[in-house]
Parts: sequence; C-alpha cells; structure tokens
Amino acid sequence: MGKCYLAWAKDPEIRQKGGSGGFVTATLLAALKEGLVERVLIVRRIDEFEGVPLLTDDPEEVKSCSSAHLAAPLNLSSYIPPGERVAVTVKPCDARAIIERSKRRQIDLEDIYMVGLNCGGTFMPVRTMEAVSDLFGLDPGDVLGFEVSKGKFLVEARSGTYTLPMVELERMGYGRRDPCRYCNINIPVMADLACGDAGVPPGMRATFVEILTDKGDELFEAGIKTSMIEFEEAGEEEIETRVRTDRRMSEDADMWWDELSSMIDEVDHLSYYINELGRCIHCGSCKIVCPVCACKDDAKCLDMGREGYRISLYNLIRLFHLMDSCIGCGQCEDVCPADIPLTMIHQRFERRMEKELGYRPGFEMSKPPLQEPEPGGKV
Amino acid sequence: MAIERWEPKILAFCCNWCSYAGADVAGVERRQMPPSFRIIRVMCSGSVDPCWVLEAFLEGADGVLITGCHPGECHYLNTNYHTARRYRLLRIFIEELGLEPDRLRLEWISATEGIKFAEVIRDMTEKIRALGPSRLGPER
Ligand code: SF4
Ligand code: SF4
Repeated sequence: MGKCYLAWAKDPEIRQKGGSGGFVTATLLAALKEGLVERVLIVRRIDEFEGVPLLTDDPEEVKSCSSAHLAAPLNLSSYIPPGERVAVTVKPCDARAIIERSKRRQIDLEDIYMVGLNCGGTFMPVRTMEAVSDLFGLDPGDVLGFEVSKGKFLVEARSGTYTLPMVELERMGYGRRDPCRYCNINIPVMADLACGDAGVPPGMRATFVEILTDKGDELFEAGIKTSMIEFEEAGEEEIETRVRTDRRMSEDADMWWDELSSMIDEVDHLSYYINELGRCIHCGSCKIVCPVCACKDDAKCLDMGREGYRISLYNLIRLFHLMDSCIGCGQCEDVCPADIPLTMIHQRFERRMEKELGYRPGFEMSKPPLQEPEPGGKV
Repeated sequence: MAIERWEPKILAFCCNWCSYAGADVAGVERRQMPPSFRIIRVMCSGSVDPCWVLEAFLEGADGVLITGCHPGECHYLNTNYHTARRYRLLRIFIEELGLEPDRLRLEWISATEGIKFAEVIRDMTEKIRALGPSRLGPER
C-alpha cells in the first residue's frame, strides 16, 4: 500500500464546495499552476443528472466541476488529446482503459497524470430521472442534486430531501448501471493517486488519499508547493476502515455477479448466446465506444459474414478479441440499441481468461495474453 | 431407402513446413484415414487467425484441427508458441459459448510423421462422431 493521507483544499471556498473537502479540485489547480500539465480532463455536470467530459486549462472552470462523476457513465480515456500533458480524473475503469490503450500505442502514459477517484458505481441519467419521478413523484426539473452516502440514495429537491436505501432502489431495478453493480474494483490502484471518502472520520471535510506512484508524489507535492492543499497522515484506524469498506463493496459486487451469472449457467449457453446476440442489428456502436478496441473506424469485423450464421462473425470476433482486454466499463451495453447485455457477455469470457491465465487487463503493463507466446509451446 | 449416415466434417489447418508434408506422407504410405477431413494449407500454424476457426464452425465444421511444427522447430522462430496461446484461449472461448472444447484440437506433427497424422485424424473423427453434429453450424 502507498502512503496514505487525509487531505483537503486550503481555500475554504473550495473545501466547502468540493466533494470530500475539495482535494481533487485543489490538486488539479496545483498541477496546472506548477506546469505539470497543460490541461486537465474532468467531468462537468450539464444538469443534475448528467455529466460530460471537459478539457480545460481555466482554473475557474475546474473549480465549477467538483464531484460530478457519479452522474457520468462515460469513459474518459476516449477524450485524451494526443501529444499533450494532461491530468485526468479517473474511475478504476477509466484508469484501466488508459493503461490498455497505452499498450496499443493510442495513449502515451508518460504524458498522463491519473488522479484516481474511488468509485462505487455510476448512474444512467435517464434511469435516475425515472427513479425520482416513479419513486418520489418528483419532477426531474425540481431536483437539485443526488448522491449516494452510507448505502443510501439521497435526492435533494426543491420540496425537500428524499431518501431510500440503495439495496431497495436496486431491487426495484433502478440505481447504478448493471456493469457498475458487478464491478468489484472500487479503488483505482492502477492510477497515480487514489482519492475517496472511505476512511475519512465522520464530519471531517477531507479526502482519503493514497499515493500510488512517483507521479502521484509529484501531484501531491505540487499541491503542497502551491499551498493549495493541507493534510495529515492517515491513522491505522482510518486505513483499516477504508480497507473494510472496499472489501465489503467488492463482496457485494461479486454476489451480484454470481446472481446474474447463474442465470446463464442454468440455461444452455449456446441457446442463450444465440438468442441474445441474435438481436444484434450490426450498427457497430459497441465497437465505436469500446475504449480498448484499437481498430475503431478501420475495423473490418463489421463487414464479416452474418447471413445464415447462428451468431454473426462480428459478434464472435469482438468477443474473442476482447477476451484478454475487456475491462467491463459498460460503454457497449449503454449504447446497444438492441438492449443486449453486452458487458455481462464480454465479462463472462474475460473472467474465464482471468481464471485461466491470472492476467487482469488494465492492472499491469504486461502485454495482452493474445499478443504473447505460450511459454514452451505447451498445449 | 437407407438413411444417410451423418459423418463428421473436420477442417484441418496444416503448416506448409511440417504437417502438410506429414499428411502427404500419410497418403504415400497408404495409411488408413476416414474421409472426414478437409485440409487448408497455411504457411504457419501461427497464421491461423482465430476468426477462421470461428468461421469454420459457423460454416458447419464439426471439428477444427490445427497442426504445426513441434516446439522449437517452427520455421518462423516461435510462432507456433503463439498458436498454442491462441488455442488455449480459443478452447475456453468455445466452451463458454456452449460448444464442446474437444471440437478444437492442436497437434504438433512433423513432415515425416505420416503415421501420427493418420492417427490424429482417426482419433479425432471418432471423438467427434461421439459428440455428434456441432450446434453452431447453419441450420440444416
Ligand atoms: S467490450 Fe464493452 S465493457 Fe468491455 S471494454 Fe469494450 S465497451 Fe467496455
Ligand atoms: S451496439 Fe448492439 S446492435 Fe449495435 S452492433 Fe453492437 S451488439 Fe449489435
């Protein structure tokens, strides 16, 4: 484990406004000021339910963007400008996508500072709007914000505060995106810094920060040098709390995965896949949004055979190619017009690869297994 | 009228430098082999794109055999080790998809091993006959 701190923005305004004491905002500002990076890539809310990517070097804009990633089911790795030094706020899936893309020479990792955000899951904007109107009878226009805190879904509206336990919300089919529910990685250990709530003593406006790399050190140092941040070392108890929270969240995710997955294991696999993938209309959206697909517009897979096949070659090729690199980000499932549970299907294959080879995409810099020879040529 | 007996169809990818010649030797030596297989000659087992294997199944192959040079004997350095890696993942892949993994087989067969080639074909044909037709082929 890296060095752990409780840190916050020195500027009282940023500390008050930012989620968890504004540490991330302050660090981004410091990185810009110190010239570590030319611009920062962050998420800006366009309304209470939805966030969009923003690439900027304007400190005022950075200040206005705090705590939006809950409402942004996007993958920031796709918005990194080539040949520029940037700091980017990353959820674990953003970080993993950045690492996988760097292996495919689409991103130069040297240029990137990854400010990791612990992530318990993101929400589809439309689904959240439906939730507030179906469950609380609210007009989405009257909502001032929503958040998840201590296992509760909290909605701030003009008419008051509304709350529901997450478990209940999700039992009714609302809540986080499915891929987030079974994603068991909450702390972006592959980023340069990992920032989050877990481990922060109640009532304290601060972020629990773990420094994971030399670049993480540079970022933290920049905050100190510019007097943008203040901090204290995290104590045993706080570190322990964070570990416990992380473990509990991972276990919950695994339970949901097992539940979803058992639905496939109970039926005949081939019929299941033929049935689900048979709905594909070959629009190609899933490959366009997939952060780890390297071919994009040059891809030939979409033109491969499909007439008379039980499953189109397009679907099979994508499944096989992503077997060693799907990071479960959920982008494909989000955009599929045929509502195919694509991420779950990709993850079924990817997780079998993980079990066989012990390789996890987006964690280490080692080459994807499909690009490596089998040692000794054993079969 | 006799009911036509189903015979397995096996697609065999054979490397130009070893097993393709091995298959030839098997023929010259008049080894007994069922007529269940069709050979595609490739320059190296490592040039067999996994997509071809999947396409073969979609086109109606009941089994796919990939044959290459023994480890350490590849004509192109170590490309057969790449074949081995892809094969390992392809087997898990088709198993998850719902096909029996034994429908896919990888064998190292040298240019002189006509006898091994014939044995592999006989054995694989028997195994696939026992499995029955593949369910990924076109509807009959
Ligand atoms: S296949 Fe889907 S879930 Fe996997 S990395 Fe690509 S977009 Fe993300
Ligand atoms: S997004 Fe869905 S419908 Fe479109 S190509 Fe992908 S699987 Fe098919």
